[in-house]
Amino acid sequence: MWFVRFLTSSIGKKMVMAVTGLCLILFLCVHAAGNVTIFVGSEVFQGYAENLHSHPVIVFIFRLGLFALFLIHIGVGLLLWQEGRKEGKNRYVVNTWVTKNPYAMSTMPYTGLFILCFVLIHVFGFAVAPTHDQMISNVIDVALSNFFYVLLYLAGFAALFIHLSHGFWSMLQTVGVNHPRYNTVIAWATWVVPGGFLCFFSLIALYLLTTSTY
Amino acid sequence: MSEINLTLKIWRQPNAEAEGKVETYSVENISTDSSFLEMLDVLNEKLTHEGIDPVAFDHDCREGICGMCGAMVNGVAHGPEKETTLCQLHMRHFNNGDTIVIEPFRSRAFPIYKDLMIDRSALDRIIQAGGYTNVNTGGTPDANSVRISSQQVELAMDAAACIGCGACVASCPNGAAMLFTSAKISQLALLPQGQVERKERAQAMVQCMDDEGFGHCTNTKECEAVCPKGISISNIARLNREFLKGIFTGRDD
Repeated sequence: MWFVRFLTSSIGKKMVMAVTGLCLILFLCVHAAGNVTIFVGSEVFQGYAENLHSHPVIVFIFRLGLFALFLIHIGVGLLLWQEGRKEGKNRYVVNTWVTKNPYAMSTMPYTGLFILCFVLIHVFGFAVAPTHDQMISNVIDVALSNFFYVLLYLAGFAALFIHLSHGFWSMLQTVGVNHPRYNTVIAWATWVVPGGFLCFFSLIALYLLTTSTY
Repeated sequence: MSEINLTLKIWRQPNAEAEGKVETYSVENISTDSSFLEMLDVLNEKLTHEGIDPVAFDHDCREGICGMCGAMVNGVAHGPEKETTLCQLHMRHFNNGDTIVIEPFRSRAFPIYKDLMIDRSALDRIIQAGGYTNVNTGGTPDANSVRISSQQVELAMDAAACIGCGACVASCPNGAAMLFTSAKISQLALLPQGQVERKERAQAMVQCMDDEGFGHCTNTKECEAVCPKGISISNIARLNREFLKGIFTGRDD
């Protein structure tokens, strides 16, 4: 079957990583857009959250989709990691990297797993743990008034930045987007997109940390 | 012309099954005008005189176009000079008293024959899987009947510059042969002569590449950085497109 051949091939697996990665980036964009309401005020943010959750079917489908995306991205990622290790990390007596900045690339599984831990804490803290009578605007304010909680969040955002600084470019290359006319823009976007997420989400965490009465 | 003395740490392995180890040798009065392989020739002459088995290494044309030579020099495929094969690497790029570590190109798909000699026939099998065009016999076509833009020709030629040395595989942390395979697919995909088999080609060659034990592409760009022919990873993006088109729109099932 052609589809099985596609999924079991080395390129097919990378394309699955690229497409699920793109979907997760798009989700983050929507997430960030919703979070803008935090800066407007606690009532507006509370209103946004209540509006969103007044459609439980949509929320359920989105959660299911997100869960599947995460599962596929992490599962295939771990599979590729394990396959890559077959070659052996130290197959040479002297190992030299010629390319300038291999750190983001070589730490992809580690930054990825760190992001997973962060996401689990984030989802548990803000979606699973709060009871129905708790206001979400209050929950985030209490949590992100804690210095160490904010520090953990900043570490999560930093890991995401490193992960995407390789992942964004890699995603485009894998699906075949490489053209002299756009390569400059892509090289630029590889830093700007992760940098944008880092700045925006860090700003929220620091804003909630520094404002005493939200 | 000046002369330098060097300490060489070379991987010695008598055959494919034997356990290998690094042996240390010293060579004196190496001309800085000599090539890396000529330096190894000097070493081998010395070893032969001393009754030691000379270091086996691959070489043929010694002018950088055949793809036979290649070794890891201090961890870098073909040594420190950019876009240079090992035979074209000159000893003037080293200093007197340097220690040079020389190891064979390593990959799961490249078994070692002896010392620095490796079996790269896995690359040949990738070519056999689809790196060809069918030419029907008959009358000679008119010279200018197949029209190709000069830009296409240049792009195809850039890909065709690949000499199949295996440096890309040796330097890739996953031992992927993506740069090699992509160059071979690109040179045919860019020309009208390669269109007939186009949809099957990428699928067949990628399948063979995976079966031979080469790894997947992690987009490290390490292959491009060490390639003696400067093959661009834009070819890998083209291979990915070709594979996608072939597998999603082909009719071979």
